[in-house]
Amino acid sequence: MHAIEVSHLTKKFGALTALNDVNFSVERGETFGFLGPNGAGKTTTIRTLTGISNPTSGTASIFGHDIQKDTIAARQSMGIVSETSNVYDDLTAWQNMIFSAELYHVRRDIREEKAKELLTTFDLYERRHDKAHGFSKGLKRRLTIAMGLVNNPQVLFLDEPTSGLDVQSNLIIREVITGLIHEGVTVFLTTHNIEEANMICDRVAIINKGTLAAIDAPERLKKTIQSVQSIVVSFDHVSLDQLDEVRNLSMVNDAVKEGDKFRLYTEDPATVIESVMEYAKARSLRVISISTLGPSLEDVFIKLTGLQRTGGLIHAID
Amino acid sequence: MLSTEEKERTNAWFVRISHEISAAWAISRKDMVTYYIKPNIIVSGILFPVFMFLAFAIGKNAPPGTLIPGLIAITLLFSASSIEPVSIPIERRVKTFDRLLSAPISLHSLVFGESVSGFLYSMGIACLPLVIGIVMFSTSIEHVLALIIAMALTAFCFATLGTLFAAYPTENVGEVMSMLNTVRLPLIFISGVFIPISQIPQIGQIIALFSPLTYGNDMISYAYTGTSLFSPVWDIVALLIFILIFQFVAHRLYKKFNE
Repeated sequence: MHAIEVSHLTKKFGALTALNDVNFSVERGETFGFLGPNGAGKTTTIRTLTGISNPTSGTASIFGHDIQKDTIAARQSMGIVSETSNVYDDLTAWQNMIFSAELYHVRRDIREEKAKELLTTFDLYERRHDKAHGFSKGLKRRLTIAMGLVNNPQVLFLDEPTSGLDVQSNLIIREVITGLIHEGVTVFLTTHNIEEANMICDRVAIINKGTLAAIDAPERLKKTIQSVQSIVVSFDHVSLDQLDEVRNLSMVNDAVKEGDKFRLYTEDPATVIESVMEYAKARSLRVISISTLGPSLEDVFIKLTGLQRTGGLIHAID
Repeated sequence: MLSTEEKERTNAWFVRISHEISAAWAISRKDMVTYYIKPNIIVSGILFPVFMFLAFAIGKNAPPGTLIPGLIAITLLFSASSIEPVSIPIERRVKTFDRLLSAPISLHSLVFGESVSGFLYSMGIACLPLVIGIVMFSTSIEHVLALIIAMALTAFCFATLGTLFAAYPTENVGEVMSMLNTVRLPLIFISGVFIPISQIPQIGQIIALFSPLTYGNDMISYAYTGTSLFSPVWDIVALLIFILIFQFVAHRLYKKFNE
Protein backbone atom coordinates (compact mmCIF):
# COMPACT_ATOMS: atom_id res chain seq x y z
CA MET A 1 0.00 0.00 0.00
CA HIS A 2 1.33 3.44 -0.91
CA ALA A 3 1.60 6.11 1.75
CA ILE A 4 0.18 8.65 -0.69
CA GLU A 5 -1.51 7.81 -3.97
CA VAL A 6 -2.74 10.49 -6.33
CA SER A 7 -4.68 9.55 -9.44
CA HIS A 8 -5.78 11.91 -12.23
CA LEU A 9 -6.11 14.80 -9.79
CA THR A 10 -7.57 17.93 -11.36
CA LYS A 11 -8.55 21.10 -9.58
CA LYS A 12 -10.20 24.03 -11.32
CA PHE A 13 -11.03 27.45 -9.94
CA GLY A 14 -13.46 28.78 -12.54
CA ALA A 15 -11.54 29.02 -15.80
CA LEU A 16 -8.18 28.47 -14.08
CA THR A 17 -6.84 24.92 -13.96
CA ALA A 18 -4.68 24.80 -10.84
CA LEU A 19 -3.95 21.06 -11.11
CA ASN A 20 -4.17 19.23 -14.40
CA ASP A 21 -4.43 15.43 -14.30
CA VAL A 22 -1.70 14.96 -11.70
CA ASN A 23 -0.61 11.37 -10.97
CA PHE A 24 2.02 10.15 -8.52
CA SER A 25 2.50 7.90 -5.54
CA VAL A 26 4.75 8.08 -2.50
CA GLU A 27 6.02 4.94 -0.80
CA ARG A 28 5.91 4.35 2.94
CA GLY A 29 9.04 5.86 4.53
CA GLU A 30 9.94 7.84 1.42
CA THR A 31 10.97 11.50 1.51
CA PHE A 32 9.27 13.13 -1.42
CA GLY A 33 10.05 16.66 -2.57
CA PHE A 34 7.44 18.71 -4.40
CA LEU A 35 9.03 21.62 -6.24
CA GLY A 36 7.65 24.32 -8.46
CA PRO A 37 7.60 28.06 -9.01
CA ASN A 38 5.09 30.26 -7.17
CA GLY A 39 1.56 29.54 -8.39
CA ALA A 40 2.55 26.19 -9.90
CA GLY A 41 0.03 24.22 -7.80
CA LYS A 42 2.10 23.09 -4.79
CA THR A 43 -0.19 24.51 -2.12
CA THR A 44 -3.30 23.40 -4.00
CA THR A 45 -1.87 19.87 -4.05
CA ILE A 46 -1.23 19.91 -0.30
CA ARG A 47 -4.69 21.37 0.42
CA THR A 48 -6.24 18.61 -1.68
CA LEU A 49 -4.14 15.83 -0.15
CA THR A 50 -5.05 17.01 3.35
CA GLY A 51 -8.76 17.24 2.54
CA ILE A 52 -9.06 20.99 3.05
CA SER A 53 -10.04 21.42 -0.58
CA ASN A 54 -11.93 18.96 -2.78
CA PRO A 55 -10.59 18.07 -6.22
CA THR A 56 -12.67 18.81 -9.31
CA SER A 57 -11.92 15.25 -10.45
CA GLY A 58 -9.54 12.44 -9.60
CA THR A 59 -8.72 10.82 -6.29
CA ALA A 60 -6.11 10.96 -3.56
CA SER A 61 -5.60 8.50 -0.73
CA ILE A 62 -3.43 8.33 2.38
CA PHE A 63 -2.48 4.78 3.42
CA GLY A 64 -5.45 3.50 1.40
CA HIS A 65 -7.98 5.92 2.91
CA ASP A 66 -9.64 8.04 0.24
CA ILE A 67 -9.27 11.66 1.36
CA GLN A 68 -12.79 12.55 0.22
CA LYS A 69 -14.71 9.46 1.29
CA ASP A 70 -12.73 8.47 4.39
CA THR A 71 -11.42 11.89 5.35
CA ILE A 72 -11.10 11.46 9.09
CA ALA A 73 -9.21 8.14 8.92
CA ALA A 74 -6.89 9.61 6.28
CA ARG A 75 -6.19 12.70 8.39
CA GLN A 76 -5.60 10.72 11.55
CA SER A 77 -2.26 9.48 10.22
CA MET A 78 -1.13 12.91 8.98
CA GLY A 79 0.92 15.70 10.45
CA ILE A 80 0.47 19.00 8.66
CA VAL A 81 2.89 21.91 8.82
CA SER A 82 1.60 24.73 6.65
CA GLU A 83 3.72 27.41 5.02
CA THR A 84 2.47 30.02 7.50
CA SER A 85 3.35 29.44 11.14
CA ASN A 86 -0.29 29.11 12.15
CA VAL A 87 -0.03 29.03 15.92
CA TYR A 88 -2.53 30.72 18.23
CA ASP A 89 -0.82 33.92 19.34
CA ASP A 90 -3.05 34.34 22.39
CA LEU A 91 -2.31 30.85 23.69
CA THR A 92 0.91 29.79 25.38
CA ALA A 93 3.23 27.30 23.69
CA TRP A 94 1.91 24.65 26.08
CA GLN A 95 -1.75 25.49 25.36
CA ASN A 96 -1.04 25.36 21.62
CA MET A 97 0.45 21.89 21.98
CA ILE A 98 -2.40 20.57 24.13
CA PHE A 99 -5.02 22.04 21.77
CA SER A 100 -3.36 20.37 18.81
CA ALA A 101 -3.22 17.07 20.73
CA GLU A 102 -6.93 17.35 21.53
CA LEU A 103 -7.81 18.02 17.87
CA TYR A 104 -5.86 14.88 16.89
CA HIS A 105 -7.45 12.75 19.64
CA VAL A 106 -4.16 12.06 21.41
CA ARG A 107 -5.02 10.11 24.54
CA ARG A 108 -5.41 12.25 27.64
CA ASP A 109 -2.79 10.27 29.61
CA ILE A 110 -0.04 10.83 27.03
CA ARG A 111 -0.91 14.35 25.84
CA GLU A 112 1.21 16.17 28.38
CA GLU A 113 4.10 13.74 28.06
CA LYS A 114 4.12 14.20 24.27
CA ALA A 115 3.84 17.99 24.55
CA LYS A 116 6.77 18.07 26.96
CA GLU A 117 8.87 15.78 24.74
CA LEU A 118 8.29 17.86 21.60
CA LEU A 119 8.76 21.25 23.27
CA THR A 120 12.03 19.95 24.68
CA THR A 121 13.13 18.64 21.27
CA PHE A 122 12.46 22.03 19.70
CA ASP A 123 14.15 23.87 22.57
CA LEU A 124 10.89 25.55 23.60
CA TYR A 125 10.17 23.91 26.95
CA GLU A 126 11.59 26.81 28.96
CA ARG A 127 9.21 29.13 27.09
CA ARG A 128 6.16 26.87 27.47
CA HIS A 129 4.21 29.35 29.58
CA ASP A 130 4.86 32.27 27.20
CA LYS A 131 2.17 33.33 24.77
CA ALA A 132 3.14 32.71 21.15
CA HIS A 133 2.66 36.36 20.13
CA GLY A 134 5.96 37.15 21.82
CA PHE A 135 7.83 34.50 19.84
CA SER A 136 10.25 35.24 17.00
CA LYS A 137 9.62 33.87 13.51
CA GLY A 138 11.98 30.95 14.19
CA LEU A 139 10.34 30.06 17.52
CA LYS A 140 6.86 30.16 15.96
CA ARG A 141 8.07 27.90 13.15
CA ARG A 142 9.48 25.42 15.65
CA LEU A 143 6.20 25.46 17.60
CA THR A 144 4.22 24.92 14.36
CA ILE A 145 6.28 21.86 13.52
CA ALA A 146 6.04 20.55 17.08
CA MET A 147 2.23 20.87 16.84
CA GLY A 148 2.31 18.94 13.56
CA LEU A 149 4.11 16.03 15.25
CA VAL A 150 1.92 15.72 18.33
CA ASN A 151 -0.03 12.72 16.96
CA ASN A 152 3.08 10.75 15.86
CA PRO A 153 2.09 11.07 12.18
CA GLN A 154 2.95 8.35 9.69
CA VAL A 155 3.01 10.91 6.91
CA LEU A 156 4.16 14.47 7.43
CA PHE A 157 3.27 17.30 5.07
CA LEU A 158 5.88 20.03 5.34
CA ASP A 159 5.25 23.23 3.41
CA GLU A 160 8.41 25.36 3.25
CA PRO A 161 9.64 24.27 6.69
CA THR A 162 12.85 26.29 6.84
CA SER A 163 12.10 29.29 4.67
CA GLY A 164 13.67 32.51 5.98
CA LEU A 165 14.64 31.19 9.41
CA ASP A 166 17.57 31.89 11.72
CA VAL A 167 20.47 29.45 11.77
CA GLN A 168 19.55 27.85 15.11
CA SER A 169 15.94 27.18 14.11
CA ASN A 170 17.11 25.85 10.74
CA LEU A 171 19.51 23.43 12.41
CA ILE A 172 16.95 22.17 14.92
CA ILE A 173 14.27 21.70 12.26
CA ARG A 174 16.61 19.91 9.82
CA GLU A 175 17.83 17.65 12.61
CA VAL A 176 14.24 16.75 13.57
CA ILE A 177 13.27 16.09 9.94
CA THR A 178 16.32 13.87 9.46
CA GLY A 179 15.38 11.99 12.64
CA LEU A 180 11.82 11.47 11.38
CA ILE A 181 13.13 10.16 8.07
CA HIS A 182 15.31 7.66 9.91
CA GLU A 183 12.29 6.59 11.97
CA GLY A 184 10.48 5.73 8.73
CA VAL A 185 8.01 8.62 8.65
CA THR A 186 6.88 9.44 5.12
CA VAL A 187 7.70 13.09 4.41
CA PHE A 188 6.02 15.17 1.72
CA LEU A 189 8.10 18.32 1.42
CA THR A 190 7.47 21.43 -0.61
CA THR A 191 10.32 23.89 -0.64
CA HIS A 192 11.89 26.70 -2.61
CA ASN A 193 15.24 25.55 -1.30
CA ILE A 194 16.17 23.17 -4.10
CA GLU A 195 19.45 22.23 -2.45
CA GLU A 196 17.51 21.18 0.65
CA ALA A 197 15.33 18.91 -1.51
CA ASN A 198 18.42 17.57 -3.26
CA MET A 199 20.01 16.70 0.07
CA ILE A 200 17.11 14.96 1.83
CA CYS A 201 14.62 13.72 -0.77
CA ASP A 202 14.52 10.21 -2.19
CA ARG A 203 12.51 11.52 -5.12
CA VAL A 204 11.28 14.89 -6.26
CA ALA A 205 8.41 15.96 -8.45
CA ILE A 206 8.56 19.22 -10.36
CA ILE A 207 5.22 20.84 -11.03
CA ASN A 208 4.68 23.76 -13.38
CA LYS A 209 1.40 25.46 -14.26
CA GLY A 210 -0.55 22.65 -12.61
CA THR A 211 1.12 19.86 -14.59
CA LEU A 212 3.82 17.49 -13.39
CA ALA A 213 6.91 18.18 -15.48
CA ALA A 214 9.10 15.44 -13.99
CA ILE A 215 9.21 12.97 -11.16
CA ASP A 216 12.30 10.96 -10.26
CA ALA A 217 15.29 10.67 -7.93
CA PRO A 218 17.38 13.88 -7.90
CA GLU A 219 20.45 12.19 -9.39
CA ARG A 220 18.46 10.60 -12.21
CA LEU A 221 16.82 13.93 -12.98
CA LYS A 222 20.24 15.56 -13.23
CA LYS A 223 21.34 12.93 -15.75
CA THR A 224 18.48 13.91 -18.04
CA ILE A 225 20.14 17.27 -18.66
CA GLN A 226 23.82 16.42 -18.93
CA SER A 227 24.00 19.16 -21.59
CA VAL A 228 23.77 21.67 -18.74
CA GLN A 229 27.27 21.28 -17.30
CA SER A 230 29.24 24.18 -15.99
CA ILE A 231 32.74 25.46 -15.27
CA VAL A 232 33.29 27.55 -12.16
CA VAL A 233 36.34 29.75 -12.45
CA SER A 234 37.86 32.37 -10.19
CA PHE A 235 40.52 34.90 -11.29
CA ASP A 236 42.85 36.96 -9.12
CA HIS A 237 40.94 40.03 -10.26
CA VAL A 238 37.20 39.81 -10.87
CA SER A 239 34.99 42.58 -12.23
CA LEU A 240 31.49 42.69 -13.65
CA ASP A 241 32.88 43.84 -17.02
CA GLN A 242 34.43 40.41 -17.47
CA LEU A 243 31.00 38.77 -17.43
CA ASP A 244 30.15 39.67 -21.03
CA GLU A 245 33.64 38.67 -22.14
CA VAL A 246 33.50 35.17 -20.61
CA ARG A 247 29.94 34.76 -21.86
CA ASN A 248 31.26 35.23 -25.40
CA LEU A 249 33.96 32.58 -25.07
CA SER A 250 33.78 29.62 -27.41
CA MET A 251 31.13 26.96 -26.49
CA VAL A 252 29.80 28.98 -23.52
CA ASN A 253 25.99 28.97 -23.54
CA ASP A 254 25.53 31.30 -20.61
CA ALA A 255 27.50 32.82 -17.77
CA VAL A 256 26.60 34.16 -14.35
CA LYS A 257 28.69 35.86 -11.69
CA GLU A 258 28.53 34.02 -8.37
CA GLY A 259 30.39 36.10 -5.80
CA ASP A 260 34.10 36.13 -6.72
CA LYS A 261 33.58 33.41 -9.34
CA PHE A 262 32.03 33.04 -12.78
CA ARG A 263 29.88 30.06 -13.64
CA LEU A 264 29.95 29.21 -17.35
CA TYR A 265 27.25 26.87 -18.70
CA THR A 266 28.33 24.62 -21.53
CA GLU A 267 27.84 21.32 -23.28
CA ASP A 268 31.60 20.99 -23.84
CA PRO A 269 33.57 21.59 -20.62
CA ALA A 270 36.96 20.64 -22.14
CA THR A 271 36.80 23.33 -24.85
CA VAL A 272 35.59 25.95 -22.37
CA ILE A 273 38.50 25.22 -20.00
CA GLU A 274 40.91 25.82 -22.89
CA SER A 275 39.10 29.04 -23.80
CA VAL A 276 39.18 30.26 -20.20
CA MET A 277 42.93 29.64 -19.89
CA GLU A 278 43.56 31.51 -23.19
CA TYR A 279 41.31 34.35 -22.03
CA ALA A 280 43.18 34.60 -18.70
CA LYS A 281 46.53 34.67 -20.48
CA ALA A 282 45.36 37.34 -22.91
CA ARG A 283 44.04 39.56 -20.05
CA SER A 284 47.03 38.83 -17.78
CA LEU A 285 44.73 37.25 -15.19
CA ARG A 286 45.76 34.45 -12.87
CA VAL A 287 43.32 31.55 -12.48
CA ILE A 288 42.86 31.00 -8.71
CA SER A 289 40.60 27.98 -9.10
CA ILE A 290 38.70 26.16 -11.81
CA SER A 291 36.32 23.22 -11.50
CA THR A 292 33.79 21.35 -13.57
CA LEU A 293 30.27 20.85 -12.20
CA GLY A 294 27.53 18.55 -13.39
CA PRO A 295 23.96 19.85 -13.62
CA SER A 296 22.36 20.71 -10.28
CA LEU A 297 18.78 20.01 -9.30
CA GLU A 298 18.26 23.74 -9.69
CA ASP A 299 19.35 23.45 -13.32
CA VAL A 300 16.80 20.69 -13.83
CA PHE A 301 14.17 22.83 -12.15
CA ILE A 302 14.98 25.84 -14.32
CA LYS A 303 14.95 23.81 -17.50
CA LEU A 304 11.67 22.07 -16.74
CA THR A 305 9.80 25.09 -15.46
CA GLY A 306 10.86 27.39 -18.27
CA LEU A 307 12.51 29.86 -15.91
CA GLN A 308 15.56 31.81 -17.03
CA ARG A 309 18.78 32.87 -15.29
CA THR A 310 19.77 36.50 -15.53
CA GLY A 311 22.82 37.69 -13.65
CA GLY A 312 22.58 34.98 -11.04
CA LEU A 313 18.86 35.51 -10.46
CA ILE A 314 16.05 33.37 -11.80
CA HIS A 315 13.21 34.94 -13.74
CA ALA A 316 10.06 33.53 -15.20
CA ILE A 317 9.76 33.54 -18.96
CA ASP A 318 6.46 35.07 -20.03
CA MET B 1 -26.70 -10.85 21.68
CA LEU B 2 -24.36 -8.76 19.55
CA SER B 3 -21.78 -10.55 17.43
CA THR B 4 -18.09 -9.66 17.91
CA GLU B 5 -18.15 -7.67 14.70
CA GLU B 6 -21.21 -5.71 15.80
CA LYS B 7 -19.62 -5.04 19.19
CA GLU B 8 -16.47 -3.74 17.52
CA ARG B 9 -18.53 -1.54 15.23
CA THR B 10 -20.52 -0.18 18.19
CA ASN B 11 -17.30 0.47 20.14
CA ALA B 12 -15.74 2.22 17.16
CA TRP B 13 -18.85 4.37 16.87
CA PHE B 14 -18.67 5.35 20.55
CA VAL B 15 -14.96 6.15 20.25
CA ARG B 16 -15.66 8.31 17.20
CA ILE B 17 -18.48 10.21 18.95
CA SER B 18 -16.32 10.74 22.01
CA HIS B 19 -13.47 12.06 19.80
CA GLU B 20 -15.82 14.44 18.01
CA ILE B 21 -17.29 15.80 21.26
CA SER B 22 -13.88 16.22 22.82
CA ALA B 23 -12.51 18.04 19.75
CA ALA B 24 -15.60 20.30 19.57
CA TRP B 25 -15.14 21.14 23.25
CA ALA B 26 -11.43 21.87 22.66
CA ILE B 27 -12.41 24.34 19.90
CA SER B 28 -14.92 26.02 22.23
CA ARG B 29 -12.36 26.35 25.03
CA LYS B 30 -9.79 27.73 22.62
CA ASP B 31 -12.30 30.41 21.57
CA MET B 32 -13.09 31.24 25.20
CA VAL B 33 -9.44 31.81 26.08
CA THR B 34 -8.66 33.64 22.86
CA TYR B 35 -11.66 35.78 21.97
CA TYR B 36 -13.99 36.43 24.92
CA ILE B 37 -12.24 39.63 25.91
CA LYS B 38 -11.40 40.95 22.45
CA PRO B 39 -12.53 44.61 22.24
CA ASN B 40 -14.74 44.17 19.18
CA ILE B 41 -16.57 41.29 20.84
CA ILE B 42 -17.16 43.34 23.99
CA VAL B 43 -18.52 46.22 21.88
CA SER B 44 -20.70 44.05 19.67
CA GLY B 45 -21.80 41.53 22.28
CA ILE B 46 -22.25 43.66 25.40
CA LEU B 47 -22.29 47.40 24.76
CA PHE B 48 -24.35 47.26 21.57
CA PRO B 49 -27.41 45.54 23.12
CA VAL B 50 -27.21 47.71 26.25
CA PHE B 51 -27.26 50.97 24.29
CA MET B 52 -29.85 49.63 21.88
CA PHE B 53 -32.04 48.77 24.85
CA LEU B 54 -31.52 52.12 26.57
CA ALA B 55 -32.41 53.93 23.35
CA PHE B 56 -35.84 52.30 23.40
CA ALA B 57 -36.39 52.03 27.15
CA ILE B 58 -35.67 55.66 28.07
CA GLY B 59 -38.82 57.65 27.69
CA LYS B 60 -41.01 54.59 27.58
CA ASN B 61 -43.59 54.86 30.33
CA ALA B 62 -43.17 51.37 31.76
CA PRO B 63 -41.75 50.04 35.02
CA PRO B 64 -38.07 49.11 34.42
CA GLY B 65 -38.64 45.58 35.70
CA THR B 66 -41.08 44.82 32.88
CA LEU B 67 -38.37 45.60 30.32
CA ILE B 68 -35.95 42.99 31.67
CA PRO B 69 -37.24 40.06 29.49
CA GLY B 70 -36.68 42.16 26.35
CA LEU B 71 -33.20 43.14 27.51
CA ILE B 72 -32.35 39.48 28.12
CA ALA B 73 -33.64 38.55 24.65
CA ILE B 74 -31.58 41.13 22.75
CA THR B 75 -28.53 40.47 24.92
CA LEU B 76 -28.77 36.82 23.92
CA LEU B 77 -29.17 37.80 20.26
CA PHE B 78 -26.15 40.11 20.12
CA SER B 79 -23.74 38.32 22.44
CA ALA B 80 -24.33 34.81 21.08
CA SER B 81 -23.93 35.86 17.46
CA SER B 82 -20.82 38.00 18.01
CA ILE B 83 -18.06 35.49 18.77
CA GLU B 84 -17.69 33.53 15.51
CA PRO B 85 -18.10 36.49 13.10
CA VAL B 86 -15.05 37.94 14.85
CA SER B 87 -13.00 34.82 15.54
CA ILE B 88 -13.36 32.97 12.23
CA PRO B 89 -12.31 35.80 9.85
CA ILE B 90 -9.34 36.49 12.15
CA GLU B 91 -8.42 32.79 12.08
CA ARG B 92 -8.70 32.77 8.30
CA ARG B 93 -6.30 35.70 8.13
CA VAL B 94 -3.67 34.12 10.38
CA LYS B 95 -4.31 30.66 8.82
CA THR B 96 -5.20 28.95 12.11
CA PHE B 97 -8.61 28.13 10.61
CA ASP B 98 -6.80 25.77 8.20
CA ARG B 99 -5.65 23.90 11.30
CA LEU B 100 -9.29 23.23 12.21
CA LEU B 101 -10.30 22.40 8.64
CA SER B 102 -7.50 19.84 8.28
CA ALA B 103 -7.98 18.17 11.67
CA PRO B 104 -9.42 14.64 11.86
CA ILE B 105 -12.86 15.87 12.91
CA SER B 106 -16.11 16.25 11.01
CA LEU B 107 -17.28 19.64 9.81
CA HIS B 108 -20.35 19.16 12.04
CA SER B 109 -18.10 19.08 15.11
CA LEU B 110 -16.31 22.19 13.93
CA VAL B 111 -19.60 24.08 13.46
CA PHE B 112 -20.94 22.73 16.76
CA GLY B 113 -17.75 23.57 18.69
CA GLU B 114 -17.68 27.10 17.32
CA SER B 115 -21.36 27.55 18.20
CA VAL B 116 -20.86 26.31 21.77
CA SER B 117 -18.34 29.07 22.50
CA GLY B 118 -20.88 31.72 21.41
CA PHE B 119 -23.58 29.94 23.43
CA LEU B 120 -21.59 29.91 26.68
CA TYR B 121 -20.47 33.51 26.25
CA SER B 122 -24.06 34.58 25.70
CA MET B 123 -25.39 32.64 28.68
CA GLY B 124 -22.82 34.32 30.91
CA ILE B 125 -23.54 37.81 29.58
CA ALA B 126 -27.34 37.38 29.72
CA CYS B 127 -27.07 36.62 33.44
CA LEU B 128 -26.22 40.30 33.99
CA PRO B 129 -29.69 41.72 33.09
CA LEU B 130 -31.22 38.74 34.86
CA VAL B 131 -29.40 39.56 38.11
CA ILE B 132 -29.95 43.32 37.67
CA GLY B 133 -33.69 42.65 37.32
CA ILE B 134 -33.80 40.57 40.48
CA VAL B 135 -31.51 42.73 42.63
CA MET B 136 -32.44 46.26 41.51
CA PHE B 137 -36.06 45.94 40.43
CA SER B 138 -37.20 42.90 42.41
CA THR B 139 -38.39 41.31 39.17
CA SER B 140 -39.99 37.97 39.90
CA ILE B 141 -39.69 34.91 37.71
CA GLU B 142 -42.80 32.73 37.46
CA HIS B 143 -41.25 29.75 35.67
CA VAL B 144 -37.54 29.34 36.34
CA LEU B 145 -37.16 26.16 34.28
CA ALA B 146 -38.88 27.80 31.30
CA LEU B 147 -36.47 30.74 31.59
CA ILE B 148 -33.41 28.47 31.62
CA ILE B 149 -34.68 26.50 28.61
CA ALA B 150 -35.63 29.69 26.73
CA MET B 151 -32.25 31.32 27.38
CA ALA B 152 -30.30 28.19 26.45
CA LEU B 153 -32.18 27.56 23.20
CA THR B 154 -32.15 31.22 22.16
CA ALA B 155 -28.42 31.52 22.92
CA PHE B 156 -27.56 28.39 20.98
CA CYS B 157 -29.79 29.39 18.08
CA PHE B 158 -28.08 32.79 17.67
CA ALA B 159 -24.61 31.33 18.29
CA THR B 160 -25.29 29.03 15.33
CA LEU B 161 -26.54 32.01 13.30
CA GLY B 162 -23.21 33.77 14.01
CA THR B 163 -21.28 30.66 12.98
CA LEU B 164 -23.38 30.48 9.80
CA PHE B 165 -22.58 34.07 8.79
CA ALA B 166 -18.91 33.53 9.60
CA ALA B 167 -18.84 30.86 6.86
CA TYR B 168 -18.63 33.69 4.33
CA PRO B 169 -15.08 33.33 3.02
CA THR B 170 -13.53 36.60 4.08
CA GLU B 171 -10.65 37.59 6.33
CA ASN B 172 -12.38 40.88 7.15
CA VAL B 173 -14.40 40.94 10.40
CA GLY B 174 -16.27 44.07 9.26
CA GLU B 175 -17.68 42.34 6.19
CA VAL B 176 -19.25 39.54 8.24
CA MET B 177 -20.52 41.94 10.91
CA SER B 178 -22.15 44.18 8.28
CA MET B 179 -23.99 41.24 6.75
CA LEU B 180 -24.99 39.93 10.16
CA ASN B 181 -26.32 43.32 11.29
CA THR B 182 -28.59 43.55 8.25
CA VAL B 183 -30.35 40.53 9.76
CA ARG B 184 -29.91 41.16 13.49
CA LEU B 185 -31.19 44.74 13.61
CA PRO B 186 -34.51 44.17 11.81
CA LEU B 187 -35.13 41.15 14.05
CA ILE B 188 -35.38 43.43 17.09
CA PHE B 189 -38.26 45.38 15.56
CA ILE B 190 -40.33 42.50 14.26
CA SER B 191 -39.95 40.02 17.11
CA GLY B 192 -41.99 41.67 19.84
CA VAL B 193 -39.02 42.80 21.93
CA PHE B 194 -39.97 46.47 22.11
CA ILE B 195 -43.33 46.55 20.34
CA PRO B 196 -45.78 43.70 21.03
CA ILE B 197 -46.34 41.61 17.91
CA SER B 198 -50.11 42.25 18.16
CA GLN B 199 -49.41 45.98 17.67
CA ILE B 200 -47.30 45.76 14.52
CA PRO B 201 -48.81 45.75 10.99
CA GLN B 202 -50.12 42.43 9.64
CA ILE B 203 -47.21 42.00 7.23
CA GLY B 204 -44.87 42.45 10.19
CA GLN B 205 -46.80 39.82 12.14
CA ILE B 206 -46.31 37.34 9.31
CA ILE B 207 -42.58 38.12 9.06
CA ALA B 208 -42.32 37.73 12.86
CA LEU B 209 -43.19 34.06 12.48
CA PHE B 210 -39.91 33.54 10.61
CA SER B 211 -37.79 35.18 13.32
CA PRO B 212 -36.24 32.92 15.97
CA LEU B 213 -36.13 35.93 18.30
CA THR B 214 -39.95 35.95 18.30
CA TYR B 215 -40.03 32.55 19.97
CA GLY B 216 -37.09 33.19 22.29
CA ASN B 217 -38.55 36.49 23.46
CA ASP B 218 -42.04 34.95 23.77
CA MET B 219 -40.80 32.15 26.03
CA ILE B 220 -38.70 34.49 28.17
CA SER B 221 -41.78 36.70 28.61
CA TYR B 222 -43.75 33.59 29.57
CA ALA B 223 -41.12 32.70 32.18
CA TYR B 224 -41.49 36.17 33.75
CA THR B 225 -45.20 36.88 33.36
CA GLY B 226 -46.85 33.52 32.81
CA THR B 227 -48.46 34.80 29.61
CA SER B 228 -47.26 34.40 26.03
CA LEU B 229 -48.33 34.62 22.40
CA PHE B 230 -47.49 31.00 21.62
CA SER B 231 -47.44 28.00 23.90
CA PRO B 232 -44.00 27.34 25.47
CA VAL B 233 -43.92 23.94 23.77
CA TRP B 234 -44.34 25.57 20.38
CA ASP B 235 -41.63 28.13 21.24
CA ILE B 236 -39.26 25.25 22.09
CA VAL B 237 -40.10 23.34 18.91
CA ALA B 238 -39.69 26.47 16.76
CA LEU B 239 -36.29 27.28 18.32
CA LEU B 240 -35.12 23.68 17.85
CA ILE B 241 -36.17 23.81 14.18
CA PHE B 242 -34.24 27.07 13.68
CA ILE B 243 -31.16 25.54 15.37
CA LEU B 244 -31.27 22.50 13.11
CA ILE B 245 -31.74 24.63 9.98
CA PHE B 246 -28.89 26.99 10.94
CA GLN B 247 -26.55 24.09 11.81
CA PHE B 248 -27.35 22.35 8.53
CA VAL B 249 -26.94 25.49 6.40
CA ALA B 250 -23.73 26.45 8.25
CA HIS B 251 -22.28 22.98 7.57
CA ARG B 252 -23.19 23.23 3.88
CA LEU B 253 -21.72 26.72 3.56
CA TYR B 254 -18.40 25.79 5.20
CA LYS B 255 -18.18 22.81 2.89
CA LYS B 256 -19.03 24.84 -0.21
CA PHE B 257 -16.77 27.80 0.55
CA ASN B 258 -13.78 25.59 1.32
CA GLU B 259 -13.91 23.98 -2.07
